[in-house]
Amino acid sequence: MEKFLTVCPYCGCGCGLYLHTEGGRITGVSPSRNHPVNTGSLCVKGWNSYEFIQHPDRLKYPMIRERGALRRATWKEALRKVAGELSRIKDSRGPDAIGVLSSAKCTNEENYLMMKFARAAIGTNNIDHCARLCHSSSVGGLSAAFGSGAMTNSITEIKDARVLFVIGSNTTEQHPMIGMHMLDAVDRGASLIVADPRKIPLAGFARIHLRHRCGTDVALLLSIMNVIVAEGLVDVEFVRRRTENFDAFSSLLEEYRPDTGERITGVKADDIKKAARLYASEKRSMFFYSMGITQHVTGVDNVKACADLVMLAGHIGLPMTGLNPLRGQNNVQGACDMGALPDYYSGYQAVKNPASRRKFEKAWRKRLPDRPGLTLMEMLHDGVRAMFVMGENPALSDPDTTHVRERLERLDFLAVQDIFLTETSEYADVVLPAASFAEKDGTFTNTERRVQLIRKAVEPPQEARPDWQIICNLSGLMGAKMHYRGTYEIMEEIALLTPHYGGTLHHRLDEGFGLQWPCPDISHTGTPYLHRKKFARGLGSFTSVGYMPPAELPDGDFPFLLTTGRISFQYHTGTMTRRTHIIEREEPVCLMEINPEDAKRLGIAERQGVRVKSRRGEITVTAAITERTPEGTVFLPFHYREAAANILTNPALDPAAKIPEFKVCAVAIEKAG
Amino acid sequence: MNANNVYTPSEALIEEVITLSRNVNLYTVKTKEEIKWLPGQFFMVSVFGFGEAPISVTSSAREPLKFCIKKVGHVTGAIHGLRAGDTIGIRGPYGNAFPLDVARGRDVVIIAGGLGIAPLRPLIHEFMENGKDYARVFLLSGSKTPADVIYSEECALWEKRGIRVTLTVDCPDDSWDVCTGLVTAHLDKVEADFQNAASYICGPEVMIEAAMKAVSARGIPEERIITTLEAHMKCGVGKCGHCYMGPKYICTDGPVFSYKELRRLAERFGKGHGPQDDPMWGY
Amino acid sequence: MKKNMPVPIKTEAVKEWVLDKNHLSYWLRQLRKDFELVAPLRERNDIVLKRIDRIHEIALDCPASIPSPKEFLFPQFEPMLTKGTDGISDLRDGSKRVIFGVRSCDVSAVNLLDKFYLSGIADPYYESRRKNTLFISLVCNVPDGTCFCAGLGTGPYLKTGYDIQLYDLGDRYLLQAGSKDAERLVGRHRFLMRKPSKTDHEDQYEAQASSKAMFAERISLEGARQMITDGKVADDFWQDVAERCFECGGCVYECPLCTCFSVIDRKYNAGPADEQVERSRLWDACMFKGFTGMAGGALPAEKRILRTKRWFYHKLIYYPETLGAFGCTGCGRCTITCPGKIDMASVVHRMGNEYSKG
Repeated sequence: MEKFLTVCPYCGCGCGLYLHTEGGRITGVSPSRNHPVNTGSLCVKGWNSYEFIQHPDRLKYPMIRERGALRRATWKEALRKVAGELSRIKDSRGPDAIGVLSSAKCTNEENYLMMKFARAAIGTNNIDHCARLCHSSSVGGLSAAFGSGAMTNSITEIKDARVLFVIGSNTTEQHPMIGMHMLDAVDRGASLIVADPRKIPLAGFARIHLRHRCGTDVALLLSIMNVIVAEGLVDVEFVRRRTENFDAFSSLLEEYRPDTGERITGVKADDIKKAARLYASEKRSMFFYSMGITQHVTGVDNVKACADLVMLAGHIGLPMTGLNPLRGQNNVQGACDMGALPDYYSGYQAVKNPASRRKFEKAWRKRLPDRPGLTLMEMLHDGVRAMFVMGENPALSDPDTTHVRERLERLDFLAVQDIFLTETSEYADVVLPAASFAEKDGTFTNTERRVQLIRKAVEPPQEARPDWQIICNLSGLMGAKMHYRGTYEIMEEIALLTPHYGGTLHHRLDEGFGLQWPCPDISHTGTPYLHRKKFARGLGSFTSVGYMPPAELPDGDFPFLLTTGRISFQYHTGTMTRRTHIIEREEPVCLMEINPEDAKRLGIAERQGVRVKSRRGEITVTAAITERTPEGTVFLPFHYREAAANILTNPALDPAAKIPEFKVCAVAIEKAG
Repeated sequence: MNANNVYTPSEALIEEVITLSRNVNLYTVKTKEEIKWLPGQFFMVSVFGFGEAPISVTSSAREPLKFCIKKVGHVTGAIHGLRAGDTIGIRGPYGNAFPLDVARGRDVVIIAGGLGIAPLRPLIHEFMENGKDYARVFLLSGSKTPADVIYSEECALWEKRGIRVTLTVDCPDDSWDVCTGLVTAHLDKVEADFQNAASYICGPEVMIEAAMKAVSARGIPEERIITTLEAHMKCGVGKCGHCYMGPKYICTDGPVFSYKELRRLAERFGKGHGPQDDPMWGY
Repeated sequence: MKKNMPVPIKTEAVKEWVLDKNHLSYWLRQLRKDFELVAPLRERNDIVLKRIDRIHEIALDCPASIPSPKEFLFPQFEPMLTKGTDGISDLRDGSKRVIFGVRSCDVSAVNLLDKFYLSGIADPYYESRRKNTLFISLVCNVPDGTCFCAGLGTGPYLKTGYDIQLYDLGDRYLLQAGSKDAERLVGRHRFLMRKPSKTDHEDQYEAQASSKAMFAERISLEGARQMITDGKVADDFWQDVAERCFECGGCVYECPLCTCFSVIDRKYNAGPADEQVERSRLWDACMFKGFTGMAGGALPAEKRILRTKRWFYHKLIYYPETLGAFGCTGCGRCTITCPGKIDMASVVHRMGNEYSKG
C-alpha cells in the first residue's frame, strides 16, 4: 500500500490528506495529523473523497458532437477541432467573441496557463471563473478598503481568539475544519457572535445569535458600528494612524441607530448593542463571513461594511484578528491569484495598468489586449459566440439557469473540459477528458492563502489528461507554443511574474504543508496575517454606503423569500458528491427547509412534495419542516439537477462586482399534486 | 473459490413472474443446487449493477423458491425490471425461523399488514399441512387499499382448508364489501382462546407494534407473540452492521423475535430502532 | 496450603530470543523476500503506515497513534468480486504481509476483530487477509498524550495474543513469538538471535514498568459502563454530545474496532455488449442517518442523538456482552480525529464529571 500526501478537492479549507493506493487503484484516504488546518480530522466529504476518482462515469476519451450526439474521438481530432473552431471565430468575429471559463477546482498552474491561453493565444481578456459567483464582491470591496481581497489571518489563530464574529457563513457545515477550530475557541472560553437568518448549527454555540432578515446585512453592520461610535468603543489610535475617510463615514453612521437597525433587520436593538460591545471591547476578535454577505446585489456594500467594522474596532493587522472571507472552492483563492479574471493578470496586476501589461507582453512575447474582458455573467448573457469551459458547470450553478441553458444552446461553439459529463457538457460540441486532483501534480491555494502541493497518486483513466497538458496542446495548435516539463516549471514562470508567489516554488512547498502568500522570494517563509503595520493600499479606507434592499422581495404573488446555499453532505453541482455512495445516501433528495408555522398555514406535511415558483421558473422539491429557517423564508440547496434551485434564483447583479443575488428572491409555494 | 465465499451469490433463473398488485410481483426462481429453507428465513437477492437486498421467502418448503417483492427502492426496482428467463443472484437462506413449538396444541392468531403476509405464507402452509398439531388458526390480513391486497385468491383456498381468514383494507373503494379499518380493530372477531394462544405478526413496524400490544392485552403471553422485522442490510451474515438493534443484528439474531425479546431490548437500551416521533435533519 | 500457591508461568511457554539492534534491518530485509513489508514512516512529521522501500527510514520512535493497521485487514475500499459475461470472479486479496512496528493496542484490536469477523459465518475477505498477515508489534515506549491503553490491559505490552512482540532494551530487542507461525518465521533466521539471559529479563521488566509509567491518561471505561447501565446517564447528556457531532464518520473510520461496511455495485462498460459489474465494499459508519435507511426512504435513526449514543453503547455495553471485551483499546485515535471533541476519552471524562459525584 502506497500513501500520497495531497490536498482535499472540496472546500477552501485545504485540508491535508493522504490518498492510499494498492495496485494502482485508490483504496482510501486518511487525514494528515500535523496539517495546520485539519490536525488529524476530516469532514465527511474529505473522508469519502476517494470514491468519485475511479467512478465508471469518468470521462475517458475525447468526444465530438455529431448529429446531436457525442461520439468518441481521438485527441488529435478533438484538439484540432477546438483549435480550428476557436481560430475561425477569432478570425471572423475577433478574439472578444470568445469567452473562457477557468476553474476554481483546477490547480494554480492550470489557471495560470488558462489565463495565458486566453490572453496570449486567443487574445481576449474574456476570462473568468466561478469566483464571480462567490467572492467577486470580496475582491471588489476589500480592494477598495484594504487593497487586497484575501482572508487576512490564519486558521490556526482561530482557537486562540477571544471573540469570533461570524456572519453569513454556515461554517461547521460548509467549512467544517474551520468550524472545528471555532468550536475549539469556544471551548477555551471565546465568545461567539453569529449573524445568520437561519438557525445554523454554529448558532447553538453562540453567545449572541443575530437573526436578521435576509439581505439586511448592511443595516445590521452599520447599526453595530453606530453603537461602537456612540459608546466610545472606537479604536481611535488605529483609525487616526491607519485609515482615511472616517469623517464622511461617521456622518453616514448617524442614520443607523440601533432602533433603525431593529426596524430594518428585525434584530432587537439590545442584541445589536450587545454584539457591538462584545466585538469591539476585546482585542483578539476575528471576523468571518462567506456567501451570506457576498451573494447579494449589495454584495460589495456588504463587504465594505464588514471592512469598516473591523477597522473601526482596530481588529486588523495583528494575529487573531482580521477580516476573514471564507472561500468556497479548494482553489478559488488560487484561481483569482492566477488572474483567471477579466481585469487582472496574476497577482492582481491590472490589465488596465500599462506597466503590468508590458511586463506580461515581454514575458510571453505576444501583444495583449488592453481592455478588461467580460465577466462570467456577461459572457453567458450576451457578448460571446464561443466558449471554452474548464471544470465548471454554469448550466446548474448560475442563476436563472433556464436562460443560461438557452444561451449555451445558441453558442456557435462550446468546448467543455471536465472529469465527468456535466449539465453544461450537454451543450458542448467537443468534450475533453481531464485528470482529477488525484491524477496530477500542481498547487492549490486555500482560503488562508496557503499554497500547497497536490501529488499524483494514480494514472488518469484511459486517455484522460491533466488540464495543464491539454491547455499546452491547444495553445500550441493556436500559434502560441507552451512547453513545460512539469507543473514545477509553470510555477517557476508564475513566481517570476507574480510578486505574491515569488517564493512558492514546488521544492519549497514539498518540505512542509505549503506557504502562505505573500511569499515574495525563495527565502521568505510566508505571511500568516496581512496588513501588518500598513494596508496593502497604504491607508485603510472607510467606504461604507447606505442600506439598499434586495432586488426582489416577497410580494402578494410571490410571498416567500427564498435563500439558497449548500448542505454539508453535498457539494456544489454534485458532480463528485452525487457519485459518492455514502454522501449521496445521506441526502439523496432536494429538501426545502420551511418553518413549521408556514407549513401549517399552507397545509404542508413533512416530506411532502411542494412546487416552488419564481418569476423565472418552477421546480418540485420535498418539504422539510424545521425551525432552522425563520417564518416567511425558505431555504433550498442548489446541488440537485432534478430540482435545480437556480432555475428560481434572480440574476440581478451587484453593479460593481457583477455577482448575482443567490441569497434572496421571491417565490410562491404550493403543494404538489 | 466461490464455494467458500459467503458473499458470492449463486445464479438463479427466474421461472415465472406473477403480478400480485400494482407494485408487488411474485417471482419463482430455480437454483442449480437444491436449497432448503425454513419459514421466516430470508435470502440476499442481487441484481448485478444495482446491488443486493434481503428478501424473505414466501413459499413453503414443498414449493419451489418464491419471493414476493414490492417495488420500493433501487434493487427491488431493478428486480421489477426483470422477466421470466432472466437471472438473479441469490445467497442464503439466512436468519432464524419462526418457532413452531410455541404454537403446538394452541390456537394461532396470524396478523399481517400489507406485504407482511409474504413471510407468513410458509407458516400458514405449515399450519394447514400439519393441522392436527395446532388448534384453530386465525388469519387477519390488512392492506391499504383493495388494489394492494395480495394473495386474495389463496386466502379463499386457505379458508377452505380450515384457516379462519379476515381481510380488511384501510381505505376501501366501491368494490370492497368486506371489512375496513386497521387489522387490530378486528381482533374482537377472533374467537381464539387468547390466554392459551400464540400469535405471529408481520407488517410495517408501526402496525407490528400496535398488533403486538393488542394481542398482549388480550392475554397472549409475550414469549408466544412472534414477529419478523426488516432492516437495511448489506451482508445478511452479521458483519456489515446496518441492521443493528441494540446489541443484536436482525440478520443473525433475527429476523424473527418474540415480543418478550423486543420488550427487553427496549427496556434496557431505549428503542434506538423504529420510527421516530418527529423528523429532525441537520442539528 | 501448597495447593493454593500460585503456579509461576513457565517461561518456556513463550519462545523468546534476543536480537541485536544492528541486525534488525538485515532481519527485515530477509523477511521482505517473502512478504510485503509495511511499517510506520515519518512524512513531514506525520506518521504513515505504508509499504516500506527503504528499511532505514522506518520510524520506531513515533507516537503510538500511527494510523490503525485495520486497513490492511479491512481496507477502506475493497473490490469483492466482478461479474462479467464469463461469470463471477472472486477478488479476495491473499498477499503475504508483515506489518512491522504496530503497537500492542492495535494487536489487541486485531484479536477482537478476529473474534467478530471469524465467528459465526466467517467473513471471507477478512479471513483471507488475516491468514496472510503477520504483526510484529513493539512494546510501546512513546505513548501519545491521547493514549489510555494502560488502564485497559490492551497495552502497552501484551501477555498473550500477539504474533511477534518486541521489547526495546536499549541496544537490543527481546523478541517473543506468540504463535506457531511466528515461531517458525523467527526460527528461519535463528542465527541472528540468541537466547535471553537473566539481565535481558531484568531489562524487560524495567521496560514494562517504565512504559506503563509514561501514560498520562486514565480513563475508566468500566466506570462509564456502570454509569450507563445504572441508568445514571440521561438523554440530555447524549443530546449535548450529539449537538457537537459533525457527522464526519471519523471516529468510526479511525477506530481499530469499528467493523461496519457498505457494498456498492459499479458497472464498467468494456464494450457495448461487454458489461462488467464490480461489487466492492467500503467503510461505512453508524454516525450517518442513511446507514439504517430503509429502501422506501424511512430513516429509523434520523435523530443524531440515536446515532452518537449508539456508538458509545456499542463500544461500552454491546461489545462486552457479545465479544467479551470493550470495543475500545484506548488507542486515542478518535480523540485526535473528532472535530467536535466528543471522542471516547472526552465523553467518558465528561460523564464522570457529571454523574460520578452525585
